[in-house]
Amino acid sequence: MTSLGEISLALALVASIYCTVVSWWGGKTDNPVMIKSGRNAFFSIAALLIIAAAALMHGLVGHDFSLESVYNYSNRDLPLFYTVSAFWASQSGSLLLWALMLSGFGSLVLIQNRVHNQKLMPYVTSIISATLILYTLLTVFASPVFKQLPVIPPDGYGLNPMLQNPGMVFHPPSLYVGMVAFIVPFAFAMAALITRQLGDAWIRSTRRWTIFAWFFLSMGNLLGANWAYVELGWGGYWAWDPVENASFMPWLVGTAFLHSVMIQERRDMLKFWGVILITITFLLTIFGTFITRSGLISSVHAFGESTVGIYFGVFIVLCIIFSTYLIYSRRDLLKSANQLDSMISRESSFLFNNLMLLGAAFAIFWGTIFPMISEAVRGVKITVGPPFFNMVMAPIGIALLLLTGFCPLLSWRKATISNLQKNFLVPVVTTAAGGALLIIMGTTKIIPWLMFTAGIFVTVTIFMEVYRGVRARAATSKESPPKALLNLVLRNKRRYGGYIIHIGVVCLFLGFAGAAFKQEIEFSVRPGEATQFRDYKLTYYGYTDEWPRPTKEEVVATILVEKGGKKLGYVQPEKNFFTNQNMPNSEVAIYSTVKEDLYVVFAALSEDGLATFKVHINPLVKWLWIGGVIMGIGTIIVMWPDAREKKRFEARHAEA
Amino acid sequence: MKNKQAKFIIGAVVVIASISYLIYAGIQETSVYYLTVSEAQAMNETREDLRIEGNVVAGSIQKAANALGADFKITDSKNSIAIKYHGTIPDMFAEDIDVVVQGKFDPASGVFKAHTLLTSCPSKYEASERVGTKA
Repeated sequence: MTSLGEISLALALVASIYCTVVSWWGGKTDNPVMIKSGRNAFFSIAALLIIAAAALMHGLVGHDFSLESVYNYSNRDLPLFYTVSAFWASQSGSLLLWALMLSGFGSLVLIQNRVHNQKLMPYVTSIISATLILYTLLTVFASPVFKQLPVIPPDGYGLNPMLQNPGMVFHPPSLYVGMVAFIVPFAFAMAALITRQLGDAWIRSTRRWTIFAWFFLSMGNLLGANWAYVELGWGGYWAWDPVENASFMPWLVGTAFLHSVMIQERRDMLKFWGVILITITFLLTIFGTFITRSGLISSVHAFGESTVGIYFGVFIVLCIIFSTYLIYSRRDLLKSANQLDSMISRESSFLFNNLMLLGAAFAIFWGTIFPMISEAVRGVKITVGPPFFNMVMAPIGIALLLLTGFCPLLSWRKATISNLQKNFLVPVVTTAAGGALLIIMGTTKIIPWLMFTAGIFVTVTIFMEVYRGVRARAATSKESPPKALLNLVLRNKRRYGGYIIHIGVVCLFLGFAGAAFKQEIEFSVRPGEATQFRDYKLTYYGYTDEWPRPTKEEVVATILVEKGGKKLGYVQPEKNFFTNQNMPNSEVAIYSTVKEDLYVVFAALSEDGLATFKVHINPLVKWLWIGGVIMGIGTIIVMWPDAREKKRFEARHAEA
Repeated sequence: MKNKQAKFIIGAVVVIASISYLIYAGIQETSVYYLTVSEAQAMNETREDLRIEGNVVAGSIQKAANALGADFKITDSKNSIAIKYHGTIPDMFAEDIDVVVQGKFDPASGVFKAHTLLTSCPSKYEASERVGTKA
């Protein structure tokens, strides 16, 4: 199996080089035989990568410890679930997974566009397979997947206990799906530039891919935050580590792209923007994989240093040259048909949304690479940490949230005074009342107050929009309000799905704001002793010591949680020891409500039975996960196939 | 038409200038020197927070009885610094691993009082260097 995998990977590399060249040449000379050959070559890359991935999976599940990527990341008594996830725990495996997804998505695009976009497709194929050259090169040479050990060890080293968590199983693949799928709109944008077909066909053809990519990137980031929260035990979910920033930057610019193309579709504006934003998004997805793997920027959870950095570096430079040249040489074609009319219009709110998202991404980029820059310029390494990112991102985030509220109130082209009065009166009054109430209730810190108040504003404007729509529909179609609401959403999935996503975003901000009110305590107790923490009473009952697997020892403490004399339940934080790893692994216990989380870490257990705990009160954290679910529901509604939209799309293509 | 566009350019400039200012002020206020052990000793800075990276000296770790702190030494193989850390000890903290500490030098004793201890273990994912020793 190993040599089969090795051969498949090498052949995939050769096939990607062939596919890149022949598709491009076929497109340029309009040669159907070459184009067809390119298509087939692409499908064969996908098939070869499936074989290679199957070979690695076979090695993992069959405990073939002669393979380094099996030996280092699994052992015989690792549960099957985590043995499978060890596929992407290794650097080489994660690169192979990336390549596999890339070829899979590319094949899907080829199948979807058998008939459509005939002019664009050869270039799309060529661009995706050029990216595949990078990943197959890496997995064949720089970080070989099937590297073998000189002697076959009897058992594997095992998977890092921190990665033995469901969050870690789903989080990386979700991020990869998001990062990889952004290549589809990018490849179409580049193909549109090459062929000078800069209408909105490329945007419409890739709209679902963009939302798909955005969805998985959003969920990947949130799952990552959730993993950090439940697994790392420091009480937070986001540390502004370079690795986190690496996946957050493309999300920000991707979000800007998502909004800018709405304007391009609707008003034929911001064309130039759209192309630039998707190019930056794509570059950031590659940059993200680059900084987590190159060892260039020290991070708490990056892959080890290796030579892959050079490959990524060269690829990024080539991409920048290629896309900059294309955009520059086609700049006349990217002129918009319409111009912005008024500062107070829906278009301009999108423009400012784009600027702020891009600015936020730039701030993170700058903060992430700042140590390198300061070392190069001043000779001293200077870092910025979470305080920098929080300080910069909080105002930008609040401004963006406010814009989210303003946008649906503004009319297209130019808002009139009467339009403003009509739309703004209720939300502004409600928000002012809500803001005042928050102060009375004791929210005196400025940043969380702004977040809560802006959140109220957004929520009120969205509900007003829905209310107006329902009332209008109920009046004209004589439907009952619930039926009118359902029809309204079903007939305008993109619009109302978008509103639902915005409600999810408000929930996220609720969670962010809560962080300003967190509290923590450390205490040491013996069995039977109790501690008071704010209005919680925590009684330590003692611990149990068990061996669920021959290599894993679990020490579980039991604590009774009471509040105001009322028994809330038990929490059981754990401290685990693995015979094959020389460090313990703490499992936190969380008593979670919508108001706040009681987050309990079992810090230590001394020889004489004194147990030490660290407890955090983290207000409103649950709203992050609730917001994530709401955003997910909204995205599904936005993506849901729409018969009427499809008809319009096909009519357009028939004309073309 | 020209006038209309000017408004947007001004608006955009205001947004860009505000974000640039935020970044500038953020860096001014929150940046911290990131030094090696030798650089930190040479700098002789006792007022400002510093970040120092080094390798934990074998046999130097003395954990507090309640495990909420530790005294240890870090080295860059030329010099070493004594660290007094207070806080929860990360799971991965052990002898002979690379750590990053943040805190201040105590001018009286010369001990580095750390409030943050990060274990930046490069082998968290890549464990290849362990192969030789285990197999």
